[in-house]
Amino acid sequence: MKKRGEFLVGVLASAGAVVFVTAAIAVVKRWVPVLSLGVLYIFAVLPVAVVWGLVLAVAVSIASMLAFNWFFLPPTHTFQLRDGANWAVLAVYLVTAVVVSALAARARRRAELAELREREARARAAAELEAESYRRSDTLKTALLHAVSHDLRSPLTAILAAASGLGNPDVRLVRADRDDLVETIRAEAERLNRIVGNLLDLSRLESGVAAPHQELWTADDLVLRALDELGPRGERIVAELDADAPPVQTDAAQIERALVNLLDNALKFSPPDSPVRVRVESRDHELLLHVHDAGPGVPEDDRETVFEPFRRGDGSVRGAGLGLAIARGFAEVNGARVWAENGGGGHFVLALPA
Amino acid sequence: MTRILVVDDEPQILRALQTSLRGAGYDVETASTGEQALTLAAVRPPDAVILDLVLPDRRGTEVARELRAWSKAPIIVLSVVGDESEKVAALDAGADDYVTKPFGVDELLARLRAALRRAEPSAEPVLDIGDLRIDFEAREVTRAGERVQLTPHEYGLLTLLARNEGKLMTHKAILREVWGEAYADESHYLHVYVSQLRRKLEPDPARPRTILTEPGVGYRLVDPLRDF
Repeated sequence: MKKRGEFLVGVLASAGAVVFVTAAIAVVKRWVPVLSLGVLYIFAVLPVAVVWGLVLAVAVSIASMLAFNWFFLPPTHTFQLRDGANWAVLAVYLVTAVVVSALAARARRRAELAELREREARARAAAELEAESYRRSDTLKTALLHAVSHDLRSPLTAILAAASGLGNPDVRLVRADRDDLVETIRAEAERLNRIVGNLLDLSRLESGVAAPHQELWTADDLVLRALDELGPRGERIVAELDADAPPVQTDAAQIERALVNLLDNALKFSPPDSPVRVRVESRDHELLLHVHDAGPGVPEDDRETVFEPFRRGDGSVRGAGLGLAIARGFAEVNGARVWAENGGGGHFVLALPA
Repeated sequence: MTRILVVDDEPQILRALQTSLRGAGYDVETASTGEQALTLAAVRPPDAVILDLVLPDRRGTEVARELRAWSKAPIIVLSVVGDESEKVAALDAGADDYVTKPFGVDELLARLRAALRRAEPSAEPVLDIGDLRIDFEAREVTRAGERVQLTPHEYGLLTLLARNEGKLMTHKAILREVWGEAYADESHYLHVYVSQLRRKLEPDPARPRTILTEPGVGYRLVDPLRDF
């Protein structure tokens, strides 16, 4: 049914094309010798050959020749097919019709094939993307499970072991041992608190509820807040402040979390006795906070992946691998950037828009 | 003094265990990697090993297998909930018992004492466990003085568990020992025999006090008046 409808449209279009060219020649012949205008019928043959194929193109060729003969060739309104020139014109139309329609059919087939391939490729790519997103979310879930199972349980284990050691009548402890166990409980409870805080921060960032509350702050304020938050853990941090740096509009609490995490990371990955430096640098449109440590630094290939959640550097270092992901998350909601730099030891930069 | 080797990559856990175990009268060595543990165990052979299953350099199960190749010292593995298959693998590889993190020192000390006690195997011809008496020479089992009739497989199962009193025996280890290698994965076999054995030995088979089930892992025979 559809085919027949299409053919009908083709017939009408073919007739229309012949009529149109004939009318055009009737107009143009006032200025141009009519005999040279027969070639214009090619404009009727061509589109029909391209769109509707060989049969109609041949029909249009014959119709064109007849129309030219009837309307324009003297004596007009008669058919004069004995003239050799007429036969030549008809032959040219027919050859054009055959060649062009064959070419067009091939082009059409190719285009259809190409479209089919493209559709398939698109479908494949979409399926792959979906699979990848499932894989990613699976990896994230596995990593989260691991973080909860290992990183929360480790400090809990130390706390429970120390507390039950203190309470066990079979365990006889001298004063120094008691202090040691108490100190373990305190330190591990704090560590547990940090991990829980990190998990909360991450879930806040991932669910998009970490709307920043921005105010004007100086760089020195931000650094000092972070050092204050770190407390005795940050004793080996050397701060190079810059009182003249212009203030920035930012959420101090969130930037403090970002900076604390960068500093924590530096403390974790550098040798225990080496200093960690935090340096303020003011540039054209940015305020840079540099964190340097004497650790191994980040290998070129890992400069971006270290910011993914649950990534850890060296396997011997503890922690759920959340710190850098959170630092970047809080930086980004404040329009700031965080990246790892090249250069002796670890070097991270937090850049706040000035 | 009894020497214990504690292997864990968490310095705080090592520290707490070291202090508590030393306070309980043990001589404690610590290692934070599998490699270090194996070296230390070779240089100064421990009387027992407490081994974390997750180590930075290699799996705890591998360390247990290597240790077991040349050492008879009991191995207690530290596992976490959700790591059941790794725990079973470690027990099959030669570990003697496990404690699930987080744990109290009391539980660890109890397991440790039981493991050390077993480390000196008794070759006695007669074994008394609670009101149960097994006469290995006569192949005779009595409960509160009354003779209990056992099939050969039931007897094999009971004597294996009894000779390893207090020790957690995995399904695989029991099946291999009593039924043979070909049956190592037929744990439903075992469940049937254990329930038959309980019916003959336990005062209340629904609440066993002598042959205890470690869900998903294996069985352990204990003296109901003494252990656990």
